[in-house]
Amino acid sequence: MMDVKQQLEQVKQEATKAVAGVTTLVELADVKAKYLGRKGTLNGLMRLMKDIPDAEKPAFGKAVNDVKQFVSGKVEETRHAIEQAIIDAKLAKERIDVTLPGKQFTVGTRHIMTQIVEEIEDLLIGMGYQVMEGPEVETDENNFEKLNLPKDHPARDMQDTFYITEDTLLRTHTSPVQVRTMLANGGNKPIKIICPGKVYRRDDDDATHSHQFMQIEGLVVDETTSMADLKGTLLAIANQVFGEGRDIRLRPSFFPFTEPSVEVDVSCHNCNGSGCNICKGTGWIEILGAGMVHNNVLEASGYDSTKYRGFAFGIGVERLAMLKYGINDIRDFYTNDMRFNRQFRKR
Amino acid sequence: MKVSMNHLREFVKTDINVLDLAELFNTHSAEVEDAYELVQASKLVVGYVKEKTSHPDADKLSICQVDVGGQTSQIVCGAPNVAAGQKVIVSLPGAILPGGFEIKKADIRGVESNGMICSLAELGLDKKFVNADGIHVITEDCEPGDDPLDVLRLNDQVMALDLTPNRADLLSVMGVAYDTAAILDLPIHLKQPEIQEIDEPCPVAIRLDTKHCMSYYARVLKDVEIKPSPRWMQSRLIAAGMRPINNVVDITNYVLLETGQPLHAFDYDLLDSDTISVRLAKDGETIQTLDEQTRKLTKDDIVITNDKEAVALGGVMGGFSTEINDNTKRILLESAVFNPINIRKTSSRLDLRSEASMRFERKVDPARTILALERATELFQKYAGGTVYKGVSKVDNIDYTEPSVELKLDYLNGYLGSNLTAEEVSDVLRRLHLEHQLEEETFTVLLPTRRQDMEGVQDVIEEIGRIVGYDTLPLTLPDTVSVGGLTAFQRFQRHLRDVMTGLGLTEVITYSLVPEHRARDFSLDTAEYTKVLMPMTKDKSTLTLSPLVGMVDVLTYNTARKMSDLAIFEVGKRYDQNETITLAGALTGTLSSTLWNGKEEVVDFYLVKGLIESLLDNLYLDHMTYEPAEIKNLHPGQGAFITSRQGRVGFLGKLHPEYAKEHDLKDVFVFELNVGKLFELRRVQKKVKDINKFPDVERDIAVVVDEDVLAGDLLAAVNKAGKRMLIQSEIFDVYRGESLGEHKKSIAIKLIFSDPKKTLETKDVDTRVNEILGTLKATFKAELR
Repeated sequence: MMDVKQQLEQVKQEATKAVAGVTTLVELADVKAKYLGRKGTLNGLMRLMKDIPDAEKPAFGKAVNDVKQFVSGKVEETRHAIEQAIIDAKLAKERIDVTLPGKQFTVGTRHIMTQIVEEIEDLLIGMGYQVMEGPEVETDENNFEKLNLPKDHPARDMQDTFYITEDTLLRTHTSPVQVRTMLANGGNKPIKIICPGKVYRRDDDDATHSHQFMQIEGLVVDETTSMADLKGTLLAIANQVFGEGRDIRLRPSFFPFTEPSVEVDVSCHNCNGSGCNICKGTGWIEILGAGMVHNNVLEASGYDSTKYRGFAFGIGVERLAMLKYGINDIRDFYTNDMRFNRQFRKR
Repeated sequence: MKVSMNHLREFVKTDINVLDLAELFNTHSAEVEDAYELVQASKLVVGYVKEKTSHPDADKLSICQVDVGGQTSQIVCGAPNVAAGQKVIVSLPGAILPGGFEIKKADIRGVESNGMICSLAELGLDKKFVNADGIHVITEDCEPGDDPLDVLRLNDQVMALDLTPNRADLLSVMGVAYDTAAILDLPIHLKQPEIQEIDEPCPVAIRLDTKHCMSYYARVLKDVEIKPSPRWMQSRLIAAGMRPINNVVDITNYVLLETGQPLHAFDYDLLDSDTISVRLAKDGETIQTLDEQTRKLTKDDIVITNDKEAVALGGVMGGFSTEINDNTKRILLESAVFNPINIRKTSSRLDLRSEASMRFERKVDPARTILALERATELFQKYAGGTVYKGVSKVDNIDYTEPSVELKLDYLNGYLGSNLTAEEVSDVLRRLHLEHQLEEETFTVLLPTRRQDMEGVQDVIEEIGRIVGYDTLPLTLPDTVSVGGLTAFQRFQRHLRDVMTGLGLTEVITYSLVPEHRARDFSLDTAEYTKVLMPMTKDKSTLTLSPLVGMVDVLTYNTARKMSDLAIFEVGKRYDQNETITLAGALTGTLSSTLWNGKEEVVDFYLVKGLIESLLDNLYLDHMTYEPAEIKNLHPGQGAFITSRQGRVGFLGKLHPEYAKEHDLKDVFVFELNVGKLFELRRVQKKVKDINKFPDVERDIAVVVDEDVLAGDLLAAVNKAGKRMLIQSEIFDVYRGESLGEHKKSIAIKLIFSDPKKTLETKDVDTRVNEILGTLKATFKAELR
């Protein structure tokens, strides 16, 4: 019995050593077969069972099985280690330089003027306005006469016009859209609209003048509309475009279609009103023209001016963008230098 | 309008600083362009030149010993007209002259100089208005050491107004005085002119032969002496931006500035007539105006005649033949009112804009016509030695009734959003010198003749609003309740922009006006375009019929600046009768790349087509067909119309190499889609579709066809034959090779079959594939490869 036990211990040590010396899965399989295979060493030892007294047989069987399990555990341990080493080697080969640049996908940018128009549209839509559009080739009647600008009115000098025929022209403002809306409404419905669009003036193009530009006009007509409402609305726009905390100032001015007419200044977003080069030291920046709709305009489009009144405002989109982003040349909006356009990725 | 504060202060007694007044005008009256000291210089004194000697080392310089009050300074002077015995303007060391020029004690070619003897131009007065040749010699009584600005009446400030066309009243110092008085709540001081007439009656008769001259007043003076006008008047004219000429001209200009009423003085002897008649000119009639130009007239022009021929262009400019000259003895002074529309036509046609025409165009106060005449006559008596004939010759057809306007207090407050009391409103009207009555909270306001711009109740509200101050109004929002929002079409256009930018294209906005010869670059030769009558330049004369015209320029511009990978789009218009909204794109170079590993997606036809397909797929418009087409200025073999069952929606293709070359471009691909049509055709998902639980079956087929068989046609036939079971078909290979034979190609198509109700059996799929192959064989003689 002693003999057998020693033999068993010897096999265990031999097998352990053999497994430890293995480096590949093939060698491991050989070693496994040698000790644990059907004709392996341990099964051979099991055959000695018949020579063992019956009383010791269970103990002997257990001892052999313990060694089998031990060796098998060692084999599995080693298999795992070898497999891990293989994976590690493979992964090591697949290592890349993660700092090299990735594939370039481009997300395009919307034009800065589109962005500003949409920003103002969204603000005013939230306040209940509808967005109205109209043709750029307009009649003299819609562009001027119905806006209290009869032929030979000196104020026509304020807007040099591209005429197409005696009676048709490139609209000089988006106000004709207001006229069209009032006429379509038949003179008895409140109106709350904004009209964005391209407009044209006979100007030589330079850093501050453009023969084509983008305008957003607003019009509210109702029985209770007041100049205070105009002020409140304009402040909301100023805060949207230039950031919260703006102040606005109305100065007397003149447009044939409004009375009173005002120029609207916003407190400078750059210096907060203390004076800088953007506001030329005044603390204020002129951003738009506005006023209460002239009774002649209401009447010309079918609204009873003793019952209805309204306010209107007109924003130059390029001017807002120039002030907001420090753009010095209005032509930049139409040159479409990609180094310019692509700066305005997300407002 | 430049306003001399000295002049203004004659009407409103105030010592307010010009900058403070400017600020108040900005918020209560009219825009102030600029406000400044007439002369911005310090440390100036009157000097007396006691002695003048030549500079030893410089021919053109003199060494002057100048009494500057209490001491004698040596000053080197370069002016040729400096002489001993003159009183001059001296700027002492430490003085700062306009432009920040500082006077220092200096050594001029070895001679010490303690200051500078100045010309008026060196004091910052415009050279147009003063004699700029040499130093100014003071002729007024004064002592060395006095302030020369006081002596020369140049201690003045100027407020330059940038006037809107309505405020014609502010084209006069009196008008500015009314506003100043209202803003500051001060009284206004108006004086009646004083005139001594002789017994002899005014020798001239007036006759108006046109209704476009509404009133005409004239006086005649004799024994007039032509000489310079008084210094104070000259200085005020200079402050107002006018050049002093002689006393007669200066007085008419001065009264024009003061009252806003243009005046004209004729040499009465040269007029050679005892009748002035006013009529419309005859077509083709000519007159030589004061500027010695001969003007050809039309029947819209008003002429003043000596009853024989035109002697002045009424309301615009006097005539050369009766101009005041050094020998003038008798003058006829005209003060009249002309129709603004005629004046506007005349001055714009002749491009002759004068101080007079500017005021007549905007309407003058007819009540000041006589005042201005009398004021000028008073000044002639004082400063030109004139003797005044008795009486005024006149014809006056003007109705001076001042219209009245009713204004209810609650209407006013509702209009402004204010909360003013009747007393407050009444007080503002008083400050504005607007006569009014108040009865049961209703004001009846007389509109004065001086405010020709005021017509209705809104004008009165404006006056009240601006004087109270718009800053006092509350900030509220309209009560109007309404549903805001974009229309479906507007949302659709925003969506197009989102998809385009998402696909990597950058938005541009280009000019609508293009050169006439390019307007139809991407349109039919017969397409009608719109041209403006008077373009600023030939390059911007015609409304484009495609945004691509401007976009090509954008590509050229950027390419020239070494930006060769470009992908741009514009939501613009074809300026046809309907101003058709169109989505246009233009791409060149690579759309994306990873340079270091050599991967790049070069823009080609199929890339651009893929972009369009992605867009259309996004709009559920994947049923479009692409017809090969020869499109103007596109490559004849690489262009296609994009068509739906309802008709054409757009095109795409490569720019014709010749066209590209003309614009310094290489391989450029463009497209255009009719946005309105896409909008009409677009579909929206109304209900979710169940996801198929049964597996798809995939089959690949490859067929050999003739080279000229179009893949699109083949696929269309496959889809038709595959019926509902075929849910997807995709070309995955196109092969050409000798084994296929000449003019043959193999097209490999992946087919995916599916049935939402059951698992497809092999035989079902085989049958359907055979049907497809049968169709292809029948239609295209396609052989299975």
